Amino acid sequence: MEGRVDTSEPIVEVRDLHTRFGNAVVHDGVSLEVREGEVFALAGASGCGKSTLLREIIALLQPASGSIRVLGREVVGIDDEEALPLRRNWGVMFERGGLFGSLTVRENVGLPLREHTRLSDRLIDEIATVKIALTGLPPSAGPKYPAELSGGMRKRAALARAIALDPRLLFLDEPTAGLDPLSADGFDGLVRRLKELLGLTIFMVTHDLDLLWRVADRVAFMVEGRIAGVGTMQELSKSEQPLVREYFYGPRGRGAWEQAWKRR
Amino acid sequence: MESAKGAGQPGFASGRLTPRSARTERDADVEVAGGDVSCVGAWTVDHMARLEARLDHIGWPGGTQIVIEGSAVSAMDTAGAWVLRQTLQTLERSGRRVSLRGLRAEHEALLRMVGSPDVGDVLATAVARPSFLERVGAIAWTSAEQSLEMLSFVGEIAAVGFRSVSRPARIRWKPILYNVRTAGVDALPITGLLCFLMGIVIAYQGATQLRRYGANIFVADLVGLAMLRELSPLLTAIIVAGRSGSAYAAQIGTMKVTEEVDALRTVGIVPIELLVLPKIVALAIALPLLSVYADVLGVAGGMMMAKKELAVSFPDFVDRLQYALRLSDFLVGIGKAPVFAAIIAVVGCFQGFQVAGDAESVGRRTTVSVVQSIFLVIVADAIFSVIFNALGI
Repeated sequence: MEGRVDTSEPIVEVRDLHTRFGNAVVHDGVSLEVREGEVFALAGASGCGKSTLLREIIALLQPASGSIRVLGREVVGIDDEEALPLRRNWGVMFERGGLFGSLTVRENVGLPLREHTRLSDRLIDEIATVKIALTGLPPSAGPKYPAELSGGMRKRAALARAIALDPRLLFLDEPTAGLDPLSADGFDGLVRRLKELLGLTIFMVTHDLDLLWRVADRVAFMVEGRIAGVGTMQELSKSEQPLVREYFYGPRGRGAWEQAWKRR
Repeated sequence: MESAKGAGQPGFASGRLTPRSARTERDADVEVAGGDVSCVGAWTVDHMARLEARLDHIGWPGGTQIVIEGSAVSAMDTAGAWVLRQTLQTLERSGRRVSLRGLRAEHEALLRMVGSPDVGDVLATAVARPSFLERVGAIAWTSAEQSLEMLSFVGEIAAVGFRSVSRPARIRWKPILYNVRTAGVDALPITGLLCFLMGIVIAYQGATQLRRYGANIFVADLVGLAMLRELSPLLTAIIVAGRSGSAYAAQIGTMKVTEEVDALRTVGIVPIELLVLPKIVALAIALPLLSVYADVLGVAGGMMMAKKELAVSFPDFVDRLQYALRLSDFLVGIGKAPVFAAIIAVVGCFQGFQVAGDAESVGRRTTVSVVQSIFLVIVADAIFSVIFNALGI
């Protein structure tokens, strides 16, 4: 994993980003880049501005200043029409799924296909079914409504919708939040498998240490609106920064770290 | 083509950072030349539509052995792989032996992935649409079930209500007063305006007929009886059903979605006692009062029209009103209001408790609560008319 060095232009590039909500400073000069084919994770405590950064990268929020380039295009100041070709090339899985309650799981997954391609309904249903199966949902989940699914299944359904158009770039917002440990374990493997199968670049926001150890190729650690450190988990865990150390060597951090070593 | 570099990156051919859809790639196609079959173009979701449409019309070469050349496929994603897999399967089912040649390793991997058995299982279990008869049966069954549940809900309210009355100290006055304000006082402007207009309409419609017989003064009978006996309570009930009944359903429904109703139970508060009883009591107080107010404004509207169209002065109108109306006419109208109030509150709360799961369910139940309560109010009004007629009131 560490050996894969991609010298091409980064797939996501954030430069000197500043965000303010009223007087509150959310981002104070954030810079990071995500390379093609890697699983990049943005970690940090709750409320440090991770999810806000994600929303700015996918052009749902506008920063005060700075530059964000995704797939080679500037997204700061982009309007919805200009963002459309970009949005077709990335998939987003929201923290609470964001599934449409009035549609079945299969219709949810098929929606981007119906909206953006001229394929027949039958083929769209088939492709949606393939995507649902890829995320490890049981066959019976397709005709169900999101309200009838458990939290873990809803996350998988949301993931299936995010990959409906075979995006190049996948954004995951807290993919394991609210899942029991077993489901979360399953999700780790699923993300890895999909990345290999579909050749995805993944950008995820998480504070799940197990997920960071197991899935992320590189991790950026955010503290109070700044990036405190970027690197592999091994590199970060050797960091001298007190805040980073505290995060990784608190009781939970240590547990996850030991687990990660045992698996080696 | 940078096939080697793109290994493990299916779907990305050249121009790595241009969004795929913006690239000008050839549509996916199947070319048949003599006995040679080759797949060409980009087998991706954006370039599949044309091929899909003509897939059934491809003139496959004869013979039992088909070799498909796949080296000219420039890109492939899951959608393309799925179509290719389906095509291969159809050919095999027609008794031919198909072999695929020259496909890139990463495309091969995709093809294997969409063909893995779990995908097949999923498709096999695609559910059939229920038949017409099945749907009619399901609707009938749900309606019967709902009616029974409504009945048990009414029973539950009665049980909780009696317990509350037996311990008057536990009656929750604050929510009652709050509901009287939101359902009653806040509804004054709209109820008043609508009934005033209704009085005008009745007097206006009546004027043409009455003038013909020189019976101008009877406009007071017409407006007075119509408003007091029927229209005021009915209109008020319909407005309140739309304003407050829907709000009850939405409020309780949302509380159910956010598990607040369950939380109430766990801290030892009976949800019906806190959420339903105060609403019923409040509406039973507010609706009769609103009806009286509506009576006054309805008659005022009629009075204005009578003066303008029929030259019946205000004193004459009021004077005639005293002869035309008995106390029972007024009481019949007001007496219906508490019943309407109970219907609106019970239906609204019942539909609120029926919410299950998501936001959409809240919206659906709110709509149902309004439709159902207006329907039931009108049915009750009809029953009242029959009873009063039989009793000669």
